[in-house]
Amino acid sequence: MVSQLIVNGISIGAVYALIAVGFAIVFSIMRFSNFAHGGMISACAFIGFYFQRAFDPAPPFYITILFTAVCGMAIAILIDTLGYSRIRKKKSPGIYYFLMSLTFAILIEQILTVFYGTNMYGYPKVFQNETFMIGDLRFKIMNLVILGVSVAMLIALILLINKTKVGLAIRAVAINAEAGKLMGINSGMIVTLIFVIAGILAGVSGVFLGVQYSVYPAVGSIMMVKGFIASVIGGLGSLSGAIFAALALGLIEIFLTYFLGARETTVIMFAIMLAFLFLRPQGISGKITEDKV
Amino acid sequence: MKKIVLVVAILVMALSLAGCKPKAAEPQEKIIIGSIQDLSGGASEAGKANAWGAEYAVKVINENGGIDGRQIEIITLDCKNDLNEGINVYRKLVDEYKVDAIIGPPLSNPASGWVELSEEDQVPIVGHFADEITTTNPDTGAVYPFMYLVQPSCGQQSDAIAKFAIETLGLKTYATLYNTGNAFAKAHAIPFMKYVRDHGGSVVAEETFTWTDTDYSAQALKIVAANPEAVFLSDYANQAATAYDALRDAGFTGVILGANTLALPFPTLVKNEIHDLYFLQNYDMLNPETRCYDLHQTYMKEVGSEYPKANVGFGWDAVQVLAAALEKAKDPKDGVEVREILESTKGVEICMGDITINPATHRPTTLGMHIAVYDENNTMQILTYVEP
Repeated sequence: MVSQLIVNGISIGAVYALIAVGFAIVFSIMRFSNFAHGGMISACAFIGFYFQRAFDPAPPFYITILFTAVCGMAIAILIDTLGYSRIRKKKSPGIYYFLMSLTFAILIEQILTVFYGTNMYGYPKVFQNETFMIGDLRFKIMNLVILGVSVAMLIALILLINKTKVGLAIRAVAINAEAGKLMGINSGMIVTLIFVIAGILAGVSGVFLGVQYSVYPAVGSIMMVKGFIASVIGGLGSLSGAIFAALALGLIEIFLTYFLGARETTVIMFAIMLAFLFLRPQGISGKITEDKV
Repeated sequence: MKKIVLVVAILVMALSLAGCKPKAAEPQEKIIIGSIQDLSGGASEAGKANAWGAEYAVKVINENGGIDGRQIEIITLDCKNDLNEGINVYRKLVDEYKVDAIIGPPLSNPASGWVELSEEDQVPIVGHFADEITTTNPDTGAVYPFMYLVQPSCGQQSDAIAKFAIETLGLKTYATLYNTGNAFAKAHAIPFMKYVRDHGGSVVAEETFTWTDTDYSAQALKIVAANPEAVFLSDYANQAATAYDALRDAGFTGVILGANTLALPFPTLVKNEIHDLYFLQNYDMLNPETRCYDLHQTYMKEVGSEYPKANVGFGWDAVQVLAAALEKAKDPKDGVEVREILESTKGVEICMGDITINPATHRPTTLGMHIAVYDENNTMQILTYVEP
């Protein structure tokens, strides 16, 4: 049973990791919690759903993921253009980013509700069988796909940030945007690139969440809570911290739910987040980030 | 001369009388009904269907002459499935629009805010708010005099499916998986477990989740470990679909029982094949021989819906029960009189059956529930009817 709980916990954690990284990457540069990420996830879930329904037969799943990733990118650029870039130009206080992100999150969800109501929609079945067994352990195929895609995307991101000139520019802007400009880095392009990456992650997350949990306007905002907790525990702005914390969160959640119950688990999860904020606000990876600075 | 004057006078009088038209009958005052539904909140899909059913019923009644020649005006307002908003729109209907009665939503949360207000204002409210707390005081058992439920209550519905599982399927061991944050879910799960225990069965696992949970695999694993013959899911469609998949993914191959929220489009929401699933339904909506068939077909055509919705029948039925009482009343605008007549509702024909209301509880005594399944094409089929 413990092995099965570990398998399930890691699967859940992979979903949280995808969301947490999208959150963390924006925080790493912009230093604000981009709650509009939840709205983007919901919008992409709907886009992917209707993309699949637009064709008969439905296109291959990976095509849907690619399409929604591109759409997520477009939505992110639109939000940045309409909202965040104006705050940047005016050099307004950081709180405005937070307010803007919350407003966009609510706006997107309400637009989806106006057009689609609160009805739920189900993606067509992707796999013939949902699960398979290895020994006594049961694996859910979609969970493994999510885990695989999450790991691949995260490795690609880490390689981008640590092994490329663009990644060097991102890290420089994350440390000090003004100094980066003085060094000849186009900070504006870097910020746009960050939102592009977040948008791609939202697109991929939206499709996976839509497949796992049905498509409805609030699907993104509900999952955002877990992604946010993972980001905080992992260290806001730290990609590796967010990934580690998300996986740990998935494991903790499933073990607590199994042994204590759902209600107690919710309380404990938020208590853990609060404990980190009190005792180690920089999160698990915060110290590493401080050392680098 | 005098004769001429007299003749002229008579002629003038005669002409005056001939010119008099009979006084036109004054049009009778309209009966004003309020309809409070969730049109934009979390249950708006059901709420809009409910509103449509109620408005359509009023339209048909008016086309057939109204109630004793009086036309009905229905005013629909949105409670957003929120207690406070429900009170706001209630107050608007009563104070501004001066409604004579209200058709309530199939939601107990907003309805629970009107239980005392309706008595203060003497406005009868008829609806499908199935939680017993909306018609009787949970502490004293006293009935709320102006609140009327016109479908089987949550407890009655749970008893129906438990009875079916025990007597027809012959199952003895059960588990439940439900949302502790959802009053609808709790109001079904708790009576279900009680019925099972009272009738020789056992509940081997009681697992719960909350609104913020998105994964129920831990709960499903515990249920599988307890090895029940059946699991009862009592939640809204989305949560029920996630729970169904979690159970099947965890390897549960037994019977799954569900509330009346598992109607279409439930099969489109689950990832696993649907098998051994039995769930409650208020109507046999796809059977052309039933009373409500034409109503549902009209709704589907007018709204462009791919499938029928039970809530259309809810709206229609609530108006029919209220209209029957309004017709019997000497003064349909007298809330007290209408309330008393509603209390003695007996054998009124509605889509769900012939309804008789228990004066002690203001809930029906004569309405049972259908048990439905999905066939291999995921088409809903009614299996049987469980008498009350």
